[in-house]
Parts: sequence; structure tokens; C-alpha cells
Amino acid sequence: MAYALNEDQQDCLQELINVAMGQASDQLARYLDTFVFLTVPNIELVNGQGLSSSLESNTDSTAVVSQGFFGYEGIRGEALLVYKHKDSDRIGDLLGYEPGELSVEEQLIDISSILTTTFLNVFASQIENQMSYSAPKLLAHTQDTVDDYIKQISFDWDMALKVNINYQVTDYSFNCEMILLIPAAAIENIKTVIDRILEDY
Amino acid sequence: MSSSVLICDDSNLARKQVLRSLPDSWEVDVELAKHGIEALEVLKNRDIDVMFLDLTMPELDGVGVLEAIKQDDIKVDVFVISADIQPEMQSKVLDLGAKAFLRKPVSPDVLVDTLQQHGIM
Repeated sequence: MAYALNEDQQDCLQELINVAMGQASDQLARYLDTFVFLTVPNIELVNGQGLSSSLESNTDSTAVVSQGFFGYEGIRGEALLVYKHKDSDRIGDLLGYEPGELSVEEQLIDISSILTTTFLNVFASQIENQMSYSAPKLLAHTQDTVDDYIKQISFDWDMALKVNINYQVTDYSFNCEMILLIPAAAIENIKTVIDRILEDY
Repeated sequence: MSSSVLICDDSNLARKQVLRSLPDSWEVDVELAKHGIEALEVLKNRDIDVMFLDLTMPELDGVGVLEAIKQDDIKVDVFVISADIQPEMQSKVLDLGAKAFLRKPVSPDVLVDTLQQHGIM
């Protein structure tokens, strides 16, 4: 498959992601004053159909915050933060807000911004790049809407590199999943950057 | 006399980063492990002086390795090198007997300073 990463490229990307998710989880832990449990991230190449079905596996998710990112050298994509219904209702408690002080939507956007921008800024610095971001959007609470939204984004989603990162706040049974989607046109650019790093080793 | 060193990380790139950070002046005999289970196999089969240990790994993570080392009373100086930089995690691995915590990606200067601080070289 032309877009597939070879073993060394996959390994390198996974290590860059590890470092970025470590710092993002540290930020989240400090923000929530708790500990965030990390697992090994999953990286896979999916086609349009696979992308839809993998998003369908999140049918019990009821809140999704999406934010586009754009770097130099054609590095770009979309970051989705997927929350479960019971978890999204608990975020106000975790953040220490009084009932009604801030809407659940605003709280979700707050927490998503911390995770997304910390993760992507650290990722970018490792590849000597710099990211800019679109405004975060809270998508409506149904799977159809998430699927429709992905189809509407002006990327070619025939093929995408999909990265799943799970942030589990153990003290509160709070769980959110970060899904990074890198469209076909950007995969080659990512591979070029990775190859440059690998040349040093 | 050379020191025996074990580098345990699921990432090939990260293992190379550690390997390249070791000073040329330090004579070492290096073993590599891709996860905690492999690392424990090495530790059970030969004496290792210094181990560089990642935390977030498949099969058996770094915390699991430290717990096994403590339980089996294996003599090895462990230096954790991880991206999981949360203060609680750093405290946890030090409580489990790690000599020091180094954040990824590790730099040669930091690695050498840390080894010297602990009288390793």
C-alpha cells in the first residue's frame, strides 16, 4: 500500500507520539490535580470505509470536540477528542466548577484545548515544525453528526492515518480518547519528516 | 572492566537514542529488550550492572519490571527513561527503587550527568 508506513517509520512515529502524549497527560494531570494512566497508542492506516466504521465503534460516545491542525511542509489533520456521556457530565466536578458556572460544552472545549494543543505543540517541536489550529468545535451528540462532519471536512479522506490515544483518569473513572486523523495528502509529508529523523540513526 | 548494560524500550528508535547517548569512554556490554518480559528474562540469566527502563510498554510495563526486580531482590541499578513525566509517576518509580527518572527524549549530557551523580562512571 503506497501510504503504508514501514516498520521503522511506524516505530519512529510511535515514539514521537509517546513523548507528545506524555507531556499532554502531564498537563491534564496538573489541570485536574490527579493521575492520568497511559497506554501504548495505536496507529493504523484506514480507508474511508474503515474510518467510518472505526468512528462507529464509539457509538456510546456523546461528546466530540474537533480541532484542525496545520503545520509547515504539508503536515495537517484533524484531532478529535471523544468523551463518553457519563464522563462528559462529570467534567465540571473534576475541574471544580460550581453547577451552572460554565456550560458542559465550554468545559469540554477547555479540556480538549489543553490536550490537543499540548500534544501537537510537543509533537511539532520534535519534528522542528510549528502548528496552527482552527477553532475547536463541539460536535453534536450523535454518531451521524460526527460521521457527517468528517465527510464535510475539506480533506480527501479516501485514506487516512489514524492514531488513537487513551487518557484515563483513574481517580474519577474519567476516560477520553484522542483520535488524530491525518489525510492521505499529508501522509507522504509525515513520512518525509520521519525519514529525515531516521537518517540520523 | 566493562559494565553490563540493559536497555529496555519497545521503540527501536528510543533504544538507539539511549545507546547513542552512552559516552564512548564508558566500556559497556549492551543487551537490548523490547518489553518488560524480555528484560526480566535477561536479568534472570545474567548479571546486569545498569538498566535503562522505559515505562509505557506492551506485555509488561516498566512499573511491572521494577516491582519484579524488588520482589525477586535482583541487584541492578535502574534508570527510568520515560515520556510519562507526571510527578506522581516519577515518585512511584523512585519509591520502587529506580535510581533516577529521566524524561524522553534523553540527551547525552543529562544521561552522563545522571550516571556520574550516582557514581556509575
